Amino acid sequence: MSKVYIKSVGVVPVGEHWNKSLTDLMVEASLNALKNAGNVKIDRIIVGNMMSGYLNNQEHLGALLASALGMKGTDALKVEAACGSGGMAVHEGYVSIKSGEFENVLVVGVEKMKDTDTSVLTKALAMAESAEFTQVVGASFISLNALLMKMYMNRYNVQEEYLDNFPVIAHKNAVTAPHAQFRKAFTLEDVKKSPYLAEPIRLLSSAPSSDGAAAVLLSSKPSDVEILASEVSTNELILFQRENPLRFEATEKAFKKAIEKSSIDPAEVDFLEIHDAFPIVAALSLEAMGYSEEGKAGYDAAKGKYNFEGDLPILTFGGLKARGHPVGGTGAYQVAEAYMQLSGTAGKNQVQGAKVGVTQNVGGVDTTSIVHIMRRVS
Amino acid sequence: MRLNSAVLGYGAYVPKYRISTEEIARIWFGEGSGPNRMKAVASYDEDALTMAYEAASIALKMANYPEIEAILVGSESKPYAVKPMGSVLSDILGFNKILGVDLEFACKGGTEAVQMISGMITSGVIKHGLAIGSDTAQGRPSDDLEYTAASGAGAVVLGQPNGKEIAKITHSVTFVTDTPDFWRRPKEHYPMHLGRFTGEPAYFTHIMSSVKLLFEETGYKPSDFNYAIFHQPNPKFPVEVGKRLGFKDEQLKPGLLNDELGNSYSANTLVALSVVLDVSKPGDKILLSSFGSGAGSDTFVIEVVSKADDDDYIPLRERLKNYVEIDYATYSKWRNKIIR
Amino acid sequence: MIPIAYWRNRKLYTRLIGSRCKKCGAEYYPPVKVCKKCGSVEIEEKEMPKTGTIVSFTKLTEPPVDFKDYAPVYLAMIRLDNGILVLGQLADAESEEIKIGAKVMATIRKWTEDGQSGIIYYGYKFKII
Repeated sequence: MSKVYIKSVGVVPVGEHWNKSLTDLMVEASLNALKNAGNVKIDRIIVGNMMSGYLNNQEHLGALLASALGMKGTDALKVEAACGSGGMAVHEGYVSIKSGEFENVLVVGVEKMKDTDTSVLTKALAMAESAEFTQVVGASFISLNALLMKMYMNRYNVQEEYLDNFPVIAHKNAVTAPHAQFRKAFTLEDVKKSPYLAEPIRLLSSAPSSDGAAAVLLSSKPSDVEILASEVSTNELILFQRENPLRFEATEKAFKKAIEKSSIDPAEVDFLEIHDAFPIVAALSLEAMGYSEEGKAGYDAAKGKYNFEGDLPILTFGGLKARGHPVGGTGAYQVAEAYMQLSGTAGKNQVQGAKVGVTQNVGGVDTTSIVHIMRRVS
Repeated sequence: MRLNSAVLGYGAYVPKYRISTEEIARIWFGEGSGPNRMKAVASYDEDALTMAYEAASIALKMANYPEIEAILVGSESKPYAVKPMGSVLSDILGFNKILGVDLEFACKGGTEAVQMISGMITSGVIKHGLAIGSDTAQGRPSDDLEYTAASGAGAVVLGQPNGKEIAKITHSVTFVTDTPDFWRRPKEHYPMHLGRFTGEPAYFTHIMSSVKLLFEETGYKPSDFNYAIFHQPNPKFPVEVGKRLGFKDEQLKPGLLNDELGNSYSANTLVALSVVLDVSKPGDKILLSSFGSGAGSDTFVIEVVSKADDDDYIPLRERLKNYVEIDYATYSKWRNKIIR
Repeated sequence: MIPIAYWRNRKLYTRLIGSRCKKCGAEYYPPVKVCKKCGSVEIEEKEMPKTGTIVSFTKLTEPPVDFKDYAPVYLAMIRLDNGILVLGQLADAESEEIKIGAKVMATIRKWTEDGQSGIIYYGYKFKII
């Protein structure tokens, strides 16, 4: 079986791109990655995306990108796992190379969310949840997370403010991140003053909608960064049919499998790109991976454990909250950012001496979890 | 008509929300109020069907869930012009082998349902039926009738008398003419009416003719009854018609609801019946006379046989104590009066 | 919403008909085809209890487009009397009454409709009692 390396990456700055279509975004990211890679023959193209059909009237993204890049004839497909589509695309690329079937796989995560209005977007995002039983009762994705957050606050007696530390950390890190959507820091008070979108989740604690694309070129040939493990786990689709909705079992299992596969000690990890769609997701993810005890992630964040200068930096370029969350693209952005850290090309956001990094990308409410562990090749 | 049908269960449902007539008058006239204090308003997610379901659920539980063979729903605010509430209730209540259809005769659609189901039971073609009156009456903004056009539902489960029923329906009569007091053309949202003409030539003429017809057929007189329920389009009319017919205030008082609830149209007399059955005793006789514009009146003789046996049942007046007042803006939004 | 998809599940939505595993007795709403506890496929229909308590709740100010006319949407996680958790909207809910632990009962309300000319979608909502 082959080892899997990241040869190069290319990212489009996350934001509101009125002049760039879904295709334009994918092509831009791909050309950046290909340029950085030099002369490489791509034998597979994997596009990660969630809502191109419903929002952009476009499916068939694999062939579309191959054609747009002048690479007709290439094996190409679209991969979908809700907000985990990007991470899942990387996972599929990893498996493609590991199996020995392919040598150079171009993985692109992309989403174009800004061509539509909020209420339609809300419906599209809710498609991560059961159409028959969750969407029909008027629930939106954010409302499910709000229910979870309130349950958490009640069970562990934690106030909202503690969890709001996560968006504050994210925004602070994004100030110096060239490809971040929001490059302005704010305080806990700022978060508290913003209106509730679905109580207790607020405008300033909720990941934005964004346009963006990130490309990761995977190779069987040694390069600066190696992917040591790429693991996926799933949980019950219906949040309330889980024995303990506050247990992010999919992340727990995916992380455990990845740790075993990579033979890395969790304490060795130098930075974490977690799925901070909402503060509660950040908290439960960290607790599921064992970096904070149950109910304590908010307190740890308040104490500075997860700050850039802290014990375990997270969201080093701003995470979903500040770098942005072009849904199907996010997982690919996370891996691209991990590559920047481990190859020493993270500029002002460089975690000094970073040798091991973890990305965690989630679809639904930890319904699918994709964990990658990567290391710097010395 | 000599009838022989039994009330095995009864239920009334009134929405939680009220608007005061002062609030309505404030918007249109800057001051004043209507003939009634308040009216019941259905929430944005309620309609004639959801209220029919609520009332029917109470009645069915009280009757211990017999196998229903006919569901007739009287309404002038049907959610669908074509697709009866019986078809929706069939799956919700679990009765698929039913004659399920909607009736319309302005405010007496509900009592028409009672007559027809009672007829089917008396003649033996069915054993159990469900008669419902339910409306989210549409009041034309700034019109007099806006003060009273309200929401509500009343239901009765009818079956064959066996001595253990709550009440027996022994007689009914109907009196009908062509009278243009109040009507609605198909594509219109609000009804039209002829003001004071809705009084003497319509309400009073038809109720009095119908009640007198019943007295002639049965030999009963006002003093034979413990309670009298007349259709309540406003607080004054039922009291006045009761007086003219020779009834006393005490016979009417327990069933008067218009002042606090307004007029729930097809549900009107069935909701009043619910409130009277809540306080009546075995052996009591009730006279019930409905009025539907267009116009007609149904009058019934109802004999109380026994008290309802349902530990979970809460009398209507108890349930009415818990309400929430809303303003005209909320009322407009909920009842679809805002153009978008 | 999709009328035919709604029609297929209408009894589930108006009567809270879920599943019961014939082998181990576990109950579910929404219904299942495979028991999540014991893996059996011997599953029968079972109507869920209509009363329960609020475990969590939220107020959604910007609901998905199908429910735009009905904002705000009050959603709650309800623990039914048989122990299972279900997601549902709260009906007639005044803010002061909505508390974790409040007792609720299922009723039927309009979920939404396809405009003035489309189908009306009826389904369960919970009233605070």
